[in-house]
Amino acid sequence: MDKNRQSALEIVSSYDGPKLRIMETCGTHTHEIFRLGIRRILPANLELISGPGCPVCVTPVSFIDEAVLLALEYGATICTFGDLLRVPGTSLSLAGARAQGARIRIVYAPMDAVSYAKQHPEESAVFLSVGFETTTPATCLAVRLAAADGVSNFSVLTANKAMPGAYRALKHSADLFLYPGHVHAITGTALCEEMTREGVSGVIAGFTSDEILTALAVAIVRHREGAPFFVNCYPRVVRPQGNPKAIALMNEMMDPCDSEWRGLGVIPDSGMRLKASCAAFDARKKFDLPPVRGHANPACRCGDVLRGACRPHDCPLFGKTCTPEHPVGACMVSNEGACSAWYRYAL
Amino acid sequence: MNDKTSRRQLSPYATTNQTVTLAHGAGGKQTSDLIDQIFKAHFSNPDLTADDAAVLPAPPGRIAMTTDGFIVSPAFFPGGNIGKLSVCGTVNDLACMGAKPLYLSCAFVIEEGYPMEQLAQIAASMAATASEAGIRIVSGDTKVAGKGQADGVFITTTGVGLLTEGVRTSGAFAKPGDSVIVTGDIGRHGCTILLAREDFGIEADVTSDCAPLWGVVRSVLDETTDVHVIRDATRGGVGTVLYEIAAQSQVGIRLNAKAIPVADQVYGVCGMLGLEPLYLACEGRLVIVAPKEQTPAILNALRQNDNSKDAVQIGEITEDHPGYVTMTTEIGAQTILPGPGGELLPRIC
Amino acid sequence: MCVGLSARVVKVNQGMALVDAGGARREISAQLLDELEPGDYVMVHAGIAIAKITDEDKDETDQIMEDLL
Repeated sequence: MDKNRQSALEIVSSYDGPKLRIMETCGTHTHEIFRLGIRRILPANLELISGPGCPVCVTPVSFIDEAVLLALEYGATICTFGDLLRVPGTSLSLAGARAQGARIRIVYAPMDAVSYAKQHPEESAVFLSVGFETTTPATCLAVRLAAADGVSNFSVLTANKAMPGAYRALKHSADLFLYPGHVHAITGTALCEEMTREGVSGVIAGFTSDEILTALAVAIVRHREGAPFFVNCYPRVVRPQGNPKAIALMNEMMDPCDSEWRGLGVIPDSGMRLKASCAAFDARKKFDLPPVRGHANPACRCGDVLRGACRPHDCPLFGKTCTPEHPVGACMVSNEGACSAWYRYAL
Repeated sequence: MNDKTSRRQLSPYATTNQTVTLAHGAGGKQTSDLIDQIFKAHFSNPDLTADDAAVLPAPPGRIAMTTDGFIVSPAFFPGGNIGKLSVCGTVNDLACMGAKPLYLSCAFVIEEGYPMEQLAQIAASMAATASEAGIRIVSGDTKVAGKGQADGVFITTTGVGLLTEGVRTSGAFAKPGDSVIVTGDIGRHGCTILLAREDFGIEADVTSDCAPLWGVVRSVLDETTDVHVIRDATRGGVGTVLYEIAAQSQVGIRLNAKAIPVADQVYGVCGMLGLEPLYLACEGRLVIVAPKEQTPAILNALRQNDNSKDAVQIGEITEDHPGYVTMTTEIGAQTILPGPGGELLPRIC
Repeated sequence: MCVGLSARVVKVNQGMALVDAGGARREISAQLLDELEPGDYVMVHAGIAIAKITDEDKDETDQIMEDLL
């Protein structure tokens, strides 16, 4: 093993300072940290908390209910990332709706949903737009493409989230953040700098084993020095200014809105929805959807898990009524969900 | 084997637009025409019966028998088609028990309107694969389902093989200390089918690993009969097979993540779609569990064979963590391979 | 939250780029990046190139570790 990786591993595995809680706010980090077995080399006083970094996990029950309603009652074809298929709604998941005859298409990219709509003019295709700042520009591009090509049988159901509100809502849940590299590839580093001024430390991390270990090592060494800090450990992808074109595109097509995060409740200005000028592509307006209130299982503690207030196995449903085969809460659904990862990696 | 060449030479329908009709399944003249022109034309051998059942000499010793149904969409994919698959699947199930494939029967359910030429190509592939595997097609059946009642063509094959003396393999026979070997890079078939469905706009030069593996197994058994488990990693991939072995034998399996062979293209596709190669189907790869001291000889024998030239040890059987597959990851930490999770769903997060 | 994949740009045409990751190829949107050229490396997410990538990951982490120690 090479020298630098060895040094990073040593810094991480031999940490012996006061209790240190690092929250990763990116589901891909959660996934990779489990896949690589990083938690198994951590000393007891160094804890990694899986925050609300998976858009699937924070998607509220009502969003799934709206999608199921569109598919089964309004006859729409739902185009979705595979992640959402098994997320439980109040009574049905999308997989359950598919078994009842709903048309559900798995897509790799939002623009693939536009192509599908073009190829199937007799259907009305609705793309389920979840995701943080990394994914939102792809939705915006898809809407722009549909508008330019006059694809009138395409619309999107938005549940897009923005991270700034979440960081602020969670800043007391951990000692420092492992910031999500691909969100900041879009948004840049200004917010992280601002968080430092507010006394919140963090590092931006990439996704390879070396990148994650290096970012953790930097976080530990800098934390020991005492003062709030921010280090971009992923500069090959994350520039200080982010991706200006993507930011401009989101500002052009989306408005900030209050948004419900599963388990965390409504966080002001933490969501994004299509502007009124794009109403023709807004599925809620196009289909004149009634307000939908979802009902999560009251015993489910996904919210506490996402805030780091409890560990997955502290939830009364974990591993009993809630398993990856039969998920109750969203954290059990996605590969990246904290509960799913804890269950499947048998921690 | 070159499917394309054999198709051109053998298909009497190559230049026609004929399709299968309900009349072809009604038992009259058209049924016998279909059988004569497609199946007999390709499967012809001394044991193929025109009567109600094939009458065959009983082999000495014990036999193995297995059956498998095949549906695959699309029916034609780079590296094979449903016909080749239906022979390989059954031949490989026999081979995994250490049985030399002898006889095969096949039943077709064909959807009304299915192109006759494609059916001929499927039959030609079956014949070529059977000949490569040394198995004789001795009996068959054809049914035609109404339009929409089946998807293209479904094939069920049943195989009989002669057990090699002194060989006893089972998923329940893995023992702590044994080596775990795979016979080549993993996930090609699953990846090929995923791309062939054209759902995700991804292209890659990947062909299915679909191959009959009796030759591979025989080369191992010629070297040693001291082999504990042989499994073909089909649906669910190598990961699923390993979990089955861990459960059946009540042992742990520790993999070396770095040793698991995955082709660059398969790795790239998995990267794009967020999939785990260990859970992609293979149709020409075996997982072999054998005593440590036999490992060098087995690997050496495998590497002489084209269908297993990239064979490699990927892990070992352990006493600890019974029922689980663990991995030594690229940073040297231990982790558990998440268990099989059902439908493979591409993810963005 | 976001599966990203680094890929090499093979071809750029009218706001779209053909990218290659280990032999897996796909058309993605290049509209959010300026002056993309064949041979460039990009980070891809959900069908769009979100960032042009400069260095090899290993060089970068090596540099960060050397600065840290």
